[in-house]
Amino acid sequence: MIDLSRLYRQDERSDLSSIFVMSIKTDEKKPRLGVVECSVLDIGYLFFIRCRSLRLPRRSSFKTTPYDMNVAFEPTALYVEEDIMKKDMLMFNLKWIFILLFILISVIGGSSALLAQEKVKEVRIGDGKGDWGYPSPYRHYPRGPGYVRMSWVFDTLVWKNKNGYIPALAKSWRYDPDSQSFIFELQEGVKWHDGKPFSAEDVAFTVNYFKKHPYPWVPLESVAGAEANGPNRVTIKLKKPDASFLAYVGGTMPVIPKHIWEKVDDPRRYNDPAAFIGTGPFKFIDFNKAKGTYLYQVNREYYLGQPKVDRLIYIKTGKPLISLVSGKADLVNIRPDMAQILEKKGMVVIKNQRGWNKKLMINHQKPPFNDKRFRKALAHAINQQEIIAKAHRGFGSPASFGLLSPDHEFYNPGTPVYEPDPAKAREILESLGYTKGKGGFYEKGGRPLVVELSASNITVAGESVTDRDGEVIKRELEGAGIRVKLVNMEQASTDARVRNWDFDLAVSGHGGLLGDAKILNRMISPKAKGSVNSVRYGASRELLDLLNAQVAEMDPEKRKRLVWKIQEIYADELPAISLYYPISMSAYNPEKRIKWYYTKGGVAFGIPISQNRMILVE
Amino acid sequence: MVSGANQAAGRFGQVISFSLAALAMIYLSYLLPRLLPGDFVTATYASANVTLTAEQEDGLRAYYTQDRGFGDYLLRLVTLDWGYSYAFLTPVSNLFLGALPWTILLLGSANLISMFIGFITGVEAAWRHGSRTEKGLVGGMTVLEGIPEICTGVILLVVFALNLQWFPAAGAETAYADATFFRRLIDIAHHLALPLTTLVLAYFPGNFLLTRNSMMMVIKAHYIETARAKGLPPRRIRYAHAARNALQPIVTRFGLRLAFMITGALVVERINSYPGLGTLLFNAIQARDLPVIQAVVLFSSLIVLCVILGMEGVYRIIDPRIGNAH
Repeated sequence: MIDLSRLYRQDERSDLSSIFVMSIKTDEKKPRLGVVECSVLDIGYLFFIRCRSLRLPRRSSFKTTPYDMNVAFEPTALYVEEDIMKKDMLMFNLKWIFILLFILISVIGGSSALLAQEKVKEVRIGDGKGDWGYPSPYRHYPRGPGYVRMSWVFDTLVWKNKNGYIPALAKSWRYDPDSQSFIFELQEGVKWHDGKPFSAEDVAFTVNYFKKHPYPWVPLESVAGAEANGPNRVTIKLKKPDASFLAYVGGTMPVIPKHIWEKVDDPRRYNDPAAFIGTGPFKFIDFNKAKGTYLYQVNREYYLGQPKVDRLIYIKTGKPLISLVSGKADLVNIRPDMAQILEKKGMVVIKNQRGWNKKLMINHQKPPFNDKRFRKALAHAINQQEIIAKAHRGFGSPASFGLLSPDHEFYNPGTPVYEPDPAKAREILESLGYTKGKGGFYEKGGRPLVVELSASNITVAGESVTDRDGEVIKRELEGAGIRVKLVNMEQASTDARVRNWDFDLAVSGHGGLLGDAKILNRMISPKAKGSVNSVRYGASRELLDLLNAQVAEMDPEKRKRLVWKIQEIYADELPAISLYYPISMSAYNPEKRIKWYYTKGGVAFGIPISQNRMILVE
Repeated sequence: MVSGANQAAGRFGQVISFSLAALAMIYLSYLLPRLLPGDFVTATYASANVTLTAEQEDGLRAYYTQDRGFGDYLLRLVTLDWGYSYAFLTPVSNLFLGALPWTILLLGSANLISMFIGFITGVEAAWRHGSRTEKGLVGGMTVLEGIPEICTGVILLVVFALNLQWFPAAGAETAYADATFFRRLIDIAHHLALPLTTLVLAYFPGNFLLTRNSMMMVIKAHYIETARAKGLPPRRIRYAHAARNALQPIVTRFGLRLAFMITGALVVERINSYPGLGTLLFNAIQARDLPVIQAVVLFSSLIVLCVILGMEGVYRIIDPRIGNAH
């Protein structure tokens, strides 16, 4: 039984008559008990202590003698504490919390196994950004992933696969130089997703509609108009020869149904379900803006063959590697350093050709950058290989100074090269009248040479990955005596400054370098006012004339010679410095038995993304 | 009577000052997004795969940026017209209401759970002041409090999503799973687990430390001794007598956390690709989608006001002395 051997007063300051705390011993060797408190019944000189406890018999009363008679005539309580008890209670509480948590986790974790079921065959593509706009021509974002999401639903006249051009809505096509027209023979028996038959009228309508309501992806300046000749033949007449027509119009223009769009006046606001009726292998079902997910359903009547899956789903994931490995996604873009891990886990990694370049934009409209020699000094000061090694762990290859990718059929291997040579850079700067000042940095007329370098994080396929290009370039330029002020800003802010010529140097990047050579016009011509990737360079008349000539040259061999010349002049004028081609990779799960690939020359006019609608069509 | 009139005047003054604050916030929500460098057309088209000529660019700019001044903005707010998102060309309210439930689910449950756990452990630890458990808890929580959620979030992802593969790494539910209601609930809980744990780990140490500290003040008070002397069960003393008086700072913290609901989850929403207002705001800022930025900024600032107003009321309930203070 309990031996109340010791009673002592706890608190001298107490206003109460008394508070007693006692420790309790039991017969047991280890006092495991937990008397929490006792209240005392006062009968004369006798105290009856009523105990409430967890483990002792409840409300057992027992007798004891008061510790202090003088103050204890009106005792109200005895408070009993036991050191072990404290720990016991806390552990008890914590234990419950952990047990509850554990149950919760295991219920959730276990039940998820139940969800891992597959009724329909579907493929899930993971993407870091998620939302790329509605997949209709006027509403998708003007970047590669937006176009690709639309391309499942809307067909083009021709298309590309791994090896080059293939028929799509057009069975065959030819160019008639006499009438300056492209003549397309269309497939027969094609149906729109709503069951209505497709005809040449729709193609002619699309061309004329896009002329009226410009869709920036399809430049129609060179197109005079389109005309349907019977149900299966359409003639698109050009104002002037356009060598890029097949890539930019034939292979990029989504054909939209006349019976729906002829009633639409503001195509950007048009968001009726009918806005997503195409002829493509998949029907658009849903786009969740908050979650960045897309759902497409198979179009069983697709004229080029049966699609391999019933459902195509895009999900958003900031962690492509985890999503792929855990089976949440079947195809993701990856960074090159993930490749090895994924291959070990049984995934297939595919690598694209060099079609996207990081480039250093130069404000060639203001001194000192308006002097070609100064730009050449910059080129010599920069070491492309060092940027790749230090900022990208060696994953990448140095870029051609002539803009076009070395993998392009029109690439000129004789394009001028600027060897990394700080001494040469210094030599040029000194010939321009710069003298060494404080700390070895150049100055002119007592004013130090300081350039501002804006950097932001843009990378292939519209995703944004932080890198240290800006830091490495700063170091390199300072190594050649040019003091650099590095400004790291978010993409849109940098873009806005480049757009308004409010910058010195800016790190930027763009793709399209594998597609049609018209990319040169887009990235050089001063007409491209609204683009921040275009150098908008008008200082060389010869270059501009060549650009116009190459697009108008329908003979590939002659065109190639013009493009070679353009690369030489561009590399000599150096309105911007191409830095490197990052390695662009995606990885997929082979379990779904779908072999993803990168399209030759990029999807449509050159989108470097491994999602080609023909991959999912047998 | 006099005190009643005073009180009414006080209330009135309060309403005036809150309305002024709200108006200032509405103005800021209109002004600040406009001060961002760049606009929608530049952000969307400038570095895109398409190159715009000058006319095309002007056409787009005229189409998208129809700025009709602050008066018009205010008027449309009053009529609950939040405008159209530039990027989606859908009503902003659609986007907003699509994201809001996820934010409330994630942040609401994170705040409630972390408050509950933090409070209980804080009270228990304070009660066992000086013990080894208490010291260990305080030390551990201080360390945990110092770890930012970006760090715990990534660690949890690597351990539970990549290595153990117990939980999904991204999203709020399996996209287009076509599951039954019950399965969908489980699926949502399953996706919620990692971001929620990340947030709870980030929030609850603070709650713990705060509760423990305010409890330490309270348990020395005489009324606690009285309670003990009355022979009340200790749990009742701890929670009904001591903890209630330590509750106020926790409620304040809870309210402030709720007020920072949108910005608070931005990091975790990004790491776990969780849909919500943080993600919505992030994307809108990237795309310079002014109507969406305005709506989110405005909502998040007004919520601060509402929380402050609401907390006044809650204080009166948890501590009636405040009501009699006048």
